[in-house]
Amino acid sequence: MKQSLALVSLAVLVAAFAVAPLFAQDAPKPLAIGGAIPMADQKMKNVDGKEIAVADVKGAKGTLVVFTCNACPYARAWEDRIVALGNEYKSKGIGVIAVNANDPEKVAEDGYDQMKTRAQDKHFGFPYVVDATSGLAKAYGASRTPEAFLFDAQGKLVYHGTIDDNAQDPEKVSSRYLSDALAAVSSGKDVPVKETKAMGCGIKFRA
Amino acid sequence: MRTGIPFALLAALPLLLAAAPAPAPSAAPAAASKQGPALTPAKAADVKKAITAPGAKAVLVNIWASWCGPCRDEFPDVLKIRRDLGSQGVRVILVSADFDDAGARADAVKFLSDMGVDFPSFIKVGKDEEFIDGLAKEWTGTLPATLVYDGQGTLRDLREGKQSYETFRGMVEKVLKDGSARPAS
Repeated sequence: MKQSLALVSLAVLVAAFAVAPLFAQDAPKPLAIGGAIPMADQKMKNVDGKEIAVADVKGAKGTLVVFTCNACPYARAWEDRIVALGNEYKSKGIGVIAVNANDPEKVAEDGYDQMKTRAQDKHFGFPYVVDATSGLAKAYGASRTPEAFLFDAQGKLVYHGTIDDNAQDPEKVSSRYLSDALAAVSSGKDVPVKETKAMGCGIKFRA
Repeated sequence: MRTGIPFALLAALPLLLAAAPAPAPSAAPAAASKQGPALTPAKAADVKKAITAPGAKAVLVNIWASWCGPCRDEFPDVLKIRRDLGSQGVRVILVSADFDDAGARADAVKFLSDMGVDFPSFIKVGKDEEFIDGLAKEWTGTLPATLVYDGQGTLRDLREGKQSYETFRGMVEKVLKDGSARPAS
């Protein structure tokens, strides 16, 4: 019995070692569910020229921070849905802010003037700000665009992930993750699905 | 009743043959046609089958998209790994994450042709999350992504974003050196 226990323990140890990802890369570690809003007072330049922080847009019922950009095809595919959700929930007590952390030196389309044009053309009813050092994205552990972080009224992260389960075709969406999370938070309920993933463009971090 | 070889296996056969290490130039004569290199729709399970097909000591899976600048930038180095290390048992599997429609697919095939790819590769289909987690729970979904497995299909390394030739080489050489992470059964 003791022997078989020892064998099982050894097997578990070996298996654990075998599957442990010994990755050299510092994998992005996104803010954990329950985490507080990082760098909430960090001022960033909005498309209206004013300096604004996440704390400035904080809503009575919650706060949505979306890392997005102009250039990424995924961000563009989801853009109308992000704007529609942002505009809708801003009027329902959720603070909303879109953050562009891309280095325009690497992606010209993500320059400030282009952001202003995009926000106007797409009727952003919420701030679209420049994360001028990419520091906010790094503090959130954001890695791609678009990537959403939704905080509750107490400023604790309750949802992190994608917009829905079909970037390509809004007609074929079957799970509206962010919409469901916003509906839950704005009515003080528990968010049903707290973490999701989708393909996205890597954030072009500033050096 | 004989069921015969499953269709999926048949469909994947040319890809598996061509994905084998160091294929002779004539190993997959049908791979590149006037329409460009073959691009097989794949879910994570299909890619995993290609990873674990016999014959590779290390498998580098590169997930890219034709519109993705960093993906395009690193692509020649991915192909160079295949050329340089194929004979040492390194299999390179390319997976396009271009959208699943005719226009995007054509963009992907054109890019592959422009890059001189003359062997079959995959285009991702189906739900993102299933695909991402099916290949590696540790992958956030960011593109480009490069995943290195050992010959038994155990994930050994993962990088997101553009990498250098030296990084790719280091990733696969570590697996070649260490061998399989799984204990022999």
